[in-house]
Amino acid sequence: MTTRPSLAERLDLAVDGVLDGMSPGLAAAGAGVAAADRSLVEAAAALRSALPAAIVAPRFEARLGSRLSGAAVQPWILRHPGRLIVTGAVGSAVGVGVTAYAVWRSTRRSQGAAQRLLHR
Amino acid sequence: MTIEPRHREPSGHDPDLADVRAAQRDRAAFGTLYRRYVDRVYGYCFYLLGDHHDAEDVTERTFLSALAAVNRFRDDGATFRAWLFRIAHNELANTLRTRARHRTSSLDAVAEQPIDADPARLVGLADEGRRLRASLEMLPEDRRQVVVLRFVDGLSAREIGIVLGRSEGSVRVLQHRALRQLAELIGT
Repeated sequence: MTTRPSLAERLDLAVDGVLDGMSPGLAAAGAGVAAADRSLVEAAAALRSALPAAIVAPRFEARLGSRLSGAAVQPWILRHPGRLIVTGAVGSAVGVGVTAYAVWRSTRRSQGAAQRLLHR
Repeated sequence: MTIEPRHREPSGHDPDLADVRAAQRDRAAFGTLYRRYVDRVYGYCFYLLGDHHDAEDVTERTFLSALAAVNRFRDDGATFRAWLFRIAHNELANTLRTRARHRTSSLDAVAEQPIDADPARLVGLADEGRRLRASLEMLPEDRRQVVVLRFVDGLSAREIGIVLGRSEGSVRVLQHRALRQLAELIGT
């Protein structure tokens, strides 16, 4: 046994018809909405024409679009956190090496100067 | 003659799914979904807030949240657009709560009006579109949400149910009540 759809269900079907561009009378008849309730389908049709699709301002759309692009493209370092550790380690090693070399060079220089003074 | 229901694709079919998968692999591909839905999300916000700047703010927060969460979207019955409008709905609710606290917006004045505050003023408005939009503002919040999501954004009752956290049946009942109230207000 099949039960008849409720008025809310039939009305929803009629609204589908209205949103697809059907006239209120045709949509109501197609969905099985009784003549007494046709005013509801007419209200739906009136609503459809009274509520045009809103369009965003082009400047806003462009600004938000570029903000989303910026958020979507993460810096490579954030996408691969392992690389951050390697970069830090290599950077530190280079720094230590350069400092050690500078200390060694300055020590040698000062020793050479002292020896030259002694030989005079 | 019978009418085929709209937006009732076979279960599991989401027309945006391929683009969502692309955005999950590479977030730069989210732009396709953004361009497809920016006007509709903005329209939803605008018709409910009645203010361009607030609507832009909510639209912006919606898309930034959606981009941040796109990897968490699962194809488990809810379409992408229902998921997106759910985010917009939550952002909108935050804005409306803030407005209610500060009591600064024009919508506060509308919300404080009784439902049938001044039908004579409505009848006096010559333009039917203006009359309808004014009537729409007199609907209770839940009915107004259903009307905007259905008539501006073209969502199905099932999708609206996902957005608002209600059953498909209760969305149809809200739509029925909203149309009855609007028909009485505009005298169709």
